[in-house]
Amino acid sequence: MRFLTPLAALAMTTAAHATDIEFWYGNTGSNEKAILAACEAFNASQDQDRVSCVGQGSYEAGMQKAIAAYRAGNHPVLIQFFDAGTLDLMLSGAVIPVSEVMPDAPWDSYIPGARAYYETADGKLFSQPYNSSTLLFYTNKAMLAEAGIEKTPETWEEVIAAARTLKEAGVSCPFATDINAWRQIEQFAARHGVPIATQSNGYDGLDAEYVIDQGIVAQHMNNLADWHEEGLVRFDAETKAAKYNAAFSAGECAMIEGSSGGYGSFAEALGADAITVTLPPMYQGQTRHNTFVGGASLWLMKGHDEAEVKAAQNFLDYLRTPEAQLEFTAATGYLPVTQSALDLLESSGRADAPEFATAGPGMETLGAPGNADTRGIRLGFYVQFRDIFAEETQRAYNGDITMDEALANSVRRGNELLRRFEATYAAN
Amino acid sequence: MTQSPFRSRPMALLFLSPLILLTALFFYWPVAEAIRWSFFLEQPFGGESTFVGFANFRRVLSDPEFWKSLKLTGIFMVTASVPAVLVPLMLAMAADRGLRTSRIARNVLVWPKGVAGASIGVIFGFIFNPFVGILTPLNQLWPGIWSPGTDGVDAFITLIVANLWNGIPFNFVILLAGLQALPDTYAKAAALDGAGPWRQALDIRLPLLAPQLFFVLVLEFTESIINAFGLIDTMTRGGPGGATTLLVYKIYADGFKGYDLSGASTQTVLLMIFVLLIAAAQFLLMERRVKYER
Repeated sequence: MRFLTPLAALAMTTAAHATDIEFWYGNTGSNEKAILAACEAFNASQDQDRVSCVGQGSYEAGMQKAIAAYRAGNHPVLIQFFDAGTLDLMLSGAVIPVSEVMPDAPWDSYIPGARAYYETADGKLFSQPYNSSTLLFYTNKAMLAEAGIEKTPETWEEVIAAARTLKEAGVSCPFATDINAWRQIEQFAARHGVPIATQSNGYDGLDAEYVIDQGIVAQHMNNLADWHEEGLVRFDAETKAAKYNAAFSAGECAMIEGSSGGYGSFAEALGADAITVTLPPMYQGQTRHNTFVGGASLWLMKGHDEAEVKAAQNFLDYLRTPEAQLEFTAATGYLPVTQSALDLLESSGRADAPEFATAGPGMETLGAPGNADTRGIRLGFYVQFRDIFAEETQRAYNGDITMDEALANSVRRGNELLRRFEATYAAN
Repeated sequence: MTQSPFRSRPMALLFLSPLILLTALFFYWPVAEAIRWSFFLEQPFGGESTFVGFANFRRVLSDPEFWKSLKLTGIFMVTASVPAVLVPLMLAMAADRGLRTSRIARNVLVWPKGVAGASIGVIFGFIFNPFVGILTPLNQLWPGIWSPGTDGVDAFITLIVANLWNGIPFNFVILLAGLQALPDTYAKAAALDGAGPWRQALDIRLPLLAPQLFFVLVLEFTESIINAFGLIDTMTRGGPGGATTLLVYKIYADGFKGYDLSGASTQTVLLMIFVLLIAAAQFLLMERRVKYER
């Protein structure tokens, strides 16, 4: 690990005063291992600061515990939070923007798509992007070849044509996905260049309203319902593995749209040569825009002394180094999101290695041209909206209501959340 | 009439204090906090909170989702509690007779009490899995007929069965103890008069068991409202399509996943009122018919 030496040298020049800090994260499995490895590497690289990394079991549990801990005054200085909680945290008054604490850090090196998600309209960066993922399209090469499909589908039209061929060839699960809004509307709307809510998804004001019941988003949701009815699309509970990505790993489903962060486990289960990973499908004739950065970022919490904040900064500096980013990418499939990390990947000649297979398509879709509606999601109580969306569309897939009714219900209930969020933070 | 075993009042209070302290800490204080929050718009991370009077109650009471989950709670209360009392009653009546295996049965039937709700949820999740569970043969005959992951009614049934399994031991112990305390002179007298086992069960043992039956029914009704949480969280997470979002789970989801502390508190207050009303109704309607003196 040659990249540790300069950091170690840096650590020795500063005063030898050990500061212990805690860092909370939510990932599990192979991603958790990679986080713990980064913590150990940081601790081994210097002896000024010690970070103890504490797993919370999931992003949601991490957020819940952070809220409880903050109210009780025993929260850690550094916490990983997930994308959907961004606005709740920005307005919480419990965090300090990283660009305020570390004005000299090379924030410009972050690719715009990754930075915009965590940045206010006036350019204040609240958190440091960490495990950044985006939506990609995966296929099982052998299953497609067996059905006589030679070209990896690129458009929705081609995906569905391939799914029909697969179904005729006896594949019970041609295309799998889940009912998560992240996949179905957020990433879909972004890459088709349309908003899911007015005010540019809330970036320009708290008075945003959902618009998922109209335009190409509504059309796509209706298509999904039809394709599901036809037996071409399966959701989590309809697969033997009970989860779309596990069903892909098990060779049950031939195609999925999934997070770049899932690549590691797919490659492990099926072999890196047995799968393709490409840009998520577009509708024919539509211009491709950037997808959102998903996953999570690192937030500095208020209420800690200078030494602790300094230690947290050092850890953030370490995680931001191109070397640490590539280490993390290789172990997980998450994307390197700074230009310097991409340059290092290029110059190291490892860009074609299987452990960096997601970097190419991932950067291409994140780096596609954007517009005002593809900066990110800036909507209040958004975590709960994702649940509402899942609940309503599930009822549509079951045939209890039509997809148009499900979308109208989601908009109505979602707008109620937004109004209450507005009222809750009116005092600020 | 009844004499206190303690000479002095302070001594009694001293022995009671740990329990009073725990109840205050884990019940009265949270309840007071919930009532307070139900009149404010509370920000998740603290900070400014705004007094809004009864606005939270107006919002919740005009929200169709609240009434939907209250209705589901009511349906679950009846459909889950009644079998959770009837099945243990049958088992207790069977075990009360001097059959060869009744001694073993009395032991075995108590064991499930030691299993936490969440664990039961995980186990029944496997048992009712449409692809590998016991109902898989049904799906092979009629594909898609059993699908708790997508069909709301199927998911509701899995909850009821898991709740029943969970409720058997305690209710069984209470009912069996009640049955065994019945003096057998009544049964002998009835037998002399020519009453068969069924007539004895219906006209003698059941009426005499009324106090215990009333007790388990009240407990089961209130418990089913609250205790379904562990089962829901591990088995259905309120789904599919909100079909198993009972009020107790909705409160959790709103408060902990949606960071709507005010809405969750308001619904907590309303749920408490609902539970109190149910218990009061049971005492008013049923307790008059229960005779404690034998």
